[in-house]
Amino acid sequence: MKNIFIKICWLLVLALCAGSNLLAQDGGSEATIADDEKSKIRFNGLGRTILTQTSIAGDVIEADTNTIDRLTDGEFLLDLAINATPNKNSEVQAIVRLRNEFGGFFGAGMSIEVRELWARGIIADFVKYRVGDMDVVMSPYTLFSPDEEGFVNEPAVFQPLKKVIDYEQFYTDDNTRRLQGAKLDFGLNFGTILEDLDVSTFIAKIRGTDFFTIPNRLVTGGEINFSTVTFNDSLGLKADFGLNLVHTFDDLQSGNAVAGIRNTVATIEYDVTVLDKSNLSLHLSGESGRSNVGRAERQTTIITDEAGEEIRREEKNIMISEEDDTFMDVGLTLHLKKQNLTVFAKYIDIGPDFFSTGAQSKRIEYGEDKTYYNRIGTDRNLRQASLFDLSRDRALYTFRTADRLMAYDPRYSNTMPYGDATPNRQGLKFGIHYGEDTDKIAARVDGAFLTEIRGQGTVELKNFNLIKAAADFNLHQFLNWKNTVRATLGVQIETTKRGGLEVEQVDLTSNLIDLGLEVELFPKFDILLGAKLFTSEGNDYVPQLSGFNEVRDFPGRYIADDQETLLGLGIKYEFKKDIYMTLQYNSFNSELGSDNPNNYNLQQFFVLYNMKF
Amino acid sequence: MNKLNLLYGYIILLLVLGTSGCKHETEPFDGPSLVDRFGPFTALTDFTVSQPTVDFANGEEVFFSASFNKNVNWIIEITGSESGSVKTIEGFSSDINATNATWDGGTTKLPLFKNEVCNVVLTIPEEIEFMATETVETLSGKQYEGTLFTDFEEELGVDAFIGNFEFEFTPQTGRQSDFPAQGDSYLRLEGTDNVVPNFFVGLIDLKASITGNTYIQLPTTVPEDLYFNCFMFSDAGPHGLAIIDFIFDANDTGAFEDGQDTGFRVMADYNLATWEGWRQISHPMSETGITQEQLEKVVAIRLLLISDKNAQPTPPLQVDFGIDYMIFTAGGPLEL
Repeated sequence: MKNIFIKICWLLVLALCAGSNLLAQDGGSEATIADDEKSKIRFNGLGRTILTQTSIAGDVIEADTNTIDRLTDGEFLLDLAINATPNKNSEVQAIVRLRNEFGGFFGAGMSIEVRELWARGIIADFVKYRVGDMDVVMSPYTLFSPDEEGFVNEPAVFQPLKKVIDYEQFYTDDNTRRLQGAKLDFGLNFGTILEDLDVSTFIAKIRGTDFFTIPNRLVTGGEINFSTVTFNDSLGLKADFGLNLVHTFDDLQSGNAVAGIRNTVATIEYDVTVLDKSNLSLHLSGESGRSNVGRAERQTTIITDEAGEEIRREEKNIMISEEDDTFMDVGLTLHLKKQNLTVFAKYIDIGPDFFSTGAQSKRIEYGEDKTYYNRIGTDRNLRQASLFDLSRDRALYTFRTADRLMAYDPRYSNTMPYGDATPNRQGLKFGIHYGEDTDKIAARVDGAFLTEIRGQGTVELKNFNLIKAAADFNLHQFLNWKNTVRATLGVQIETTKRGGLEVEQVDLTSNLIDLGLEVELFPKFDILLGAKLFTSEGNDYVPQLSGFNEVRDFPGRYIADDQETLLGLGIKYEFKKDIYMTLQYNSFNSELGSDNPNNYNLQQFFVLYNMKF
Repeated sequence: MNKLNLLYGYIILLLVLGTSGCKHETEPFDGPSLVDRFGPFTALTDFTVSQPTVDFANGEEVFFSASFNKNVNWIIEITGSESGSVKTIEGFSSDINATNATWDGGTTKLPLFKNEVCNVVLTIPEEIEFMATETVETLSGKQYEGTLFTDFEEELGVDAFIGNFEFEFTPQTGRQSDFPAQGDSYLRLEGTDNVVPNFFVGLIDLKASITGNTYIQLPTTVPEDLYFNCFMFSDAGPHGLAIIDFIFDANDTGAFEDGQDTGFRVMADYNLATWEGWRQISHPMSETGITQEQLEKVVAIRLLLISDKNAQPTPPLQVDFGIDYMIFTAGGPLEL
């Protein structure tokens, strides 16, 4: 019974694919690419130079003679993209990376690698294909790279280093995941009931085998999105639907591996336009589905004849553990068009055992070694990741998926540490968004009032309250100045509480404020100022997780009494679009409670030259 | 097709799929209980013993009781005041009762219990200040399942042959009663390979007649199911090796004739330097290579004391071992 939903979705996918192919042969294709009979080879890419000098001071290193108080590093990098269109239906691209570390001479510290390689095109003027590297995104519960924590409305002064991380880890504004494999897309138009239908399917390898115990890991899936015609013209009533399916599995035929994981997530998305008038629109939208996760084992059965002699050996994969759970996300969105105001509220219910490796894998790996001062103090303790690291250290970031819920820091994100697909949550989410980036004021407020569905270590449930507010003030529009003057503000308030016996109680409050100012002193020449102020106080229990999302133990009560301050001051000159240089001074202060001998502060000067061509 | 009907279909589909997202498996909570892990500890009832005396030989058992406000790892240690034997019972619960703290007279650390007063101590590792004590007197020892060959409680007489061919055994070789593993006596082999340096110190043959039979009586003769068990003592001194041979009456005389009958032994010697005190030796007889037919005619057990001459210093050191409670069991090793 538990896989019926998944099986039904598979059948729907197959049925719709089959049906669409028949229609395709009737000439229902709409996919095209630019018509250009001549082959072309184009060169573009990115060049980057960054030099940093980082120093540390504070109580923690007063008696520490092992820590170098000043580090200088950097890199010179060229990503050369070679793009070729041999004919109107084909395109290939390779990005070759040449990199030299600061201080590397005559080949030392230099590396050459292929950063990206893909080919794409159109088959029979109908099916788009792509092989090699690709960015894929589906829904927030199936295949999605949730935003990282540590910012609300990132001040412009901190954005250049953040963009370096985004580029290095293939993060995009669409929350895509970087995969390597093959992808097919096609679309159809209809005349009645359905207006159009888009089908996309892919398969990718996300981990290679070591030829011993670690098998290849692959992810495959697809989505079918279709829109209906307008049922009621006076109301604008219509509906968009999407079916999503993602299956992540270990290939137990690779290497000598005998055990691996299976994770299937099947969902349905919908967006029903209940009302669409000239001044407002109302949508009922959401997504619900089911996940199945488990471990498979390869077992060999020896087939014998009546005399007991071996005839042959049969191998089959059997599931040795399985777990299912469901989720639901449904809400209403009201858009007041004239006021440029969008209001939404939704109810979510994400099961405690809901597991979706493609959607829950975090961007930040807190367990990784930090680039700057990973261990400090006389005891060489690991330095806790801070806003300083989250804002610039690419070593903490990953684009890979994990087969268990990754570690998180409850100070920065406790309500939804794994994005929308965070398991074991139910409650209300809401938001109010006003204006566009180019308006005088653009603002948004998002919130969530959630509770656990199943307790951790107790039957008592945690309550999470999260408010995130952000506003951009384009002051030059108020003052009628030609040059840009923009102030940005971001505030995040997050509380976590749990009642019960004293030992079960939890009370953690974290506040983050982002302040930014960019002043275009001369055309293309900006002065940048920014501050990130963070406090966290209280206590919580952070579980140690074993397989998938099983709570193995609690290492102890997590106590926070922290203040972090990150200040930035810099100048930026934009030679032309996507080509700029910025020189900055950043100062970071970490206070772990009052008079704590582990307090420290970091200063960093850096110059970054970035060029897209 | 009526568009409105189709819309109704969509809505029903939405409701069905939407409500399917609210069903989750119900478990009390994930992970270990926080109260158990970090909560304050309180003993709710005293630690008690179910009866002051216990007669294990007659099938009696004794159990212990206590209760706490949370689940804890607890350890009950029973120590014989005379034998020094130790029985440990461990558990993780908030209640100690007959289901998880019953003592049937068994032993965790040799020797076996005698008829004696035993001190019982309850401790909780996470609560270092907590300790509770009780006493219980054993009126008789536990009767172990199996076929006893000998426990050396009786004089061996002609049923034992001491092969002190090179006069290297000390006078302490033979039945001793200073620290038996069971009862009041055990057999000790002690000597120094210093007269004829050739590895061999001496041997003792224990004949089947010690049991009043021609051949050793066994609970089963299937080698894979038949286990030989004994308690062996070592003072952890270096260079000593013990060997146990099972003698098959190859010439069908009903007696052990050295050179004519065949010996079977486990492949590995017992290296006496690797432990200190009494330990249980158990192995299936199949490890010796003996067959079912041969097991039906085991006429003696030979004990050899070997000195590792190559490793010995000059002059060589004395080597020794003790053996007690030689018993055969069926289906598995002797369970203490």
